Amino acid sequence: MTIRFEKMIPLPMLEQDTSGSEVWEAETLLLHQEKRYVVEAASGRGKTSLLSIIYGIRSDYRGKVFLDDRDLSTFTLKDWSLLRKEKLSFIFQGLELFDDLTGLENIRLKNNLTGYHKDERILEMAQLLGVDSFLKRKAGILSFGQQQRMAIIRALCQPFDFLLADECFSHMDHENSLRAYKLILEECEIRGAGLILTSLNETGLPKADLNLKI
Amino acid sequence: MRLLYQILWKDHSRAHLLGAFLGTLAGFVLLLAGIQFYMDIKGILSDNRDLLDPEYIVINKKVNIGQTLGLSRVGFKPDEIEEIRGQPFADQVAPFISNEFPVSAYTENERFPDFFTDLFFEAIPDEFIDVKSEEWQWDLEKGTIPVIIPQDYLNLYNFGFAPSQGLPQIPKGIISMVNFKLRLQGQVRGNYDDYQGRIVGFSNRVNSIMVPLDFLEWANQKYGYFKKSDPAQLILVSKNPTDPSIIRFLEERGYDTIREKLKSSRMNIILKFILSFLVIVAAIIIGLAFLVFLLSLQLMISRSSEKIRRLNKLGFHYREISRPYILLLLLLMAGITALSLLFTSLLAGQLHHRAETWSMDVSSSLHGIIYGTALGLILLISIANVGAILISTKKLCK
Repeated sequence: MTIRFEKMIPLPMLEQDTSGSEVWEAETLLLHQEKRYVVEAASGRGKTSLLSIIYGIRSDYRGKVFLDDRDLSTFTLKDWSLLRKEKLSFIFQGLELFDDLTGLENIRLKNNLTGYHKDERILEMAQLLGVDSFLKRKAGILSFGQQQRMAIIRALCQPFDFLLADECFSHMDHENSLRAYKLILEECEIRGAGLILTSLNETGLPKADLNLKI
Repeated sequence: MRLLYQILWKDHSRAHLLGAFLGTLAGFVLLLAGIQFYMDIKGILSDNRDLLDPEYIVINKKVNIGQTLGLSRVGFKPDEIEEIRGQPFADQVAPFISNEFPVSAYTENERFPDFFTDLFFEAIPDEFIDVKSEEWQWDLEKGTIPVIIPQDYLNLYNFGFAPSQGLPQIPKGIISMVNFKLRLQGQVRGNYDDYQGRIVGFSNRVNSIMVPLDFLEWANQKYGYFKKSDPAQLILVSKNPTDPSIIRFLEERGYDTIREKLKSSRMNIILKFILSFLVIVAAIIIGLAFLVFLLSLQLMISRSSEKIRRLNKLGFHYREISRPYILLLLLLMAGITALSLLFTSLLAGQLHHRAETWSMDVSSSLHGIIYGTALGLILLISIANVGAILISTKKLCK
């Protein structure tokens, strides 16, 4: 899958100074599936907007966005739900976990929809991220960092061409961040998928293919 | 998807849904019981006649001493007939035509005692007659005159005359088999013809000896020599027999009719009124309960709107998200159908039990229309609600 922007800019960004941005100032921006993109910038530069527009949950933009040469504005609700099951996965900045469900139930909710991973693999990923002992606890009572790891595991429970990760390490220490990053890269590799990762500051993560200035 | 149900059913309002459930159930029982009893009682009261059938009313002038003394005529004058025709309650009016020549009947049969009697005929158009018989046709070639006599005449004989005289009672079928002759007499002496007569039916509506209209017109032409008289009776059809203006009009003009008939139709109407009132009340209850249903489900959806948006973000289609709501709706609907049919059949059983002691025939099982109505309504309510659920979940999705 390729993602192509043509003079695309979210409407709220029109009121801001976007000079020097490789995203909002570009005539055409092409994102390739085999690459890993990191978007580092302070808040308010439109990182979340960018991911949300690709994912179809925001449509307040000017210009055009194409997924595999198909204009996003022509996608139906059915197209979007298929896309979110098979082509695009999103680690939301707001996590979007259900507080009343346990961590494992939150993960299963997605995995039941896609049937992608076996239970053993889910447990394995939880062990890798050090949250296996919290799987049976309600998500609402976990710390934000623990919830972030649950959300990461959930996002990996589906096939995808692009993984959109929105500040997904913000509440983890460096060590945990590195482990989670490693898991994400592995899973992307297995699928041959691209990654677009946003971050507030210098992540200190092993270098990505491309740093996009936004 | 147990988890989906777990997430979305959490936000239901038990009180609202229970209220809507009980309300709809009450409305259904009221409606279904109303229809059930209407069907039963209709059968009993209306003598197999539909309550909505138009009423046939035969009217005549009251006989007074003037007529006895020959001072005034008993017939309806043409302008009086026109006046009745102009009344709003009279949908159709037809005068009775009488014979204008002497008629007599006699038997020449070894099996029956001979008898001879003078007779009269009257005729009205066929559509006013309640006896439908293929034999009710006048055919000069065959020469048989079909006759309809009032059911009352036969009853008078069978239940009054015959028992008191030690004579056998005669069933309808036998009477129809009796052959007798009818002699129609012209003005000139010796100018008469004999025809075969045959009783083809018994009327509950008309208290007269009836022959086909075309026959009587033909016979009046051929034999008639009496001075033409005004018709003594009129038959009128009223689609609204309970209209109180009928009785008022008849009283003002000094006309007479068999009141009993109007009375029974009035009773029918009162019953119809009570039952339609019941049905209207039931409809209002069902309507309100339906609204509560709709609103409770909508409230449930809007309470869950954040969760629905979240599920949509995770890749759930709005149809998948609607499923828990639709299942809940269908479960409640199935419960209402089953319980309302159960309660209605219990009520019907009770009524059957009571009615038996009054030796009335009330069915103990539910009429087919009850099932039809229940299913139809449930289907209607379900479809409307499913539509609303799909629309409002779709609205929340992107």
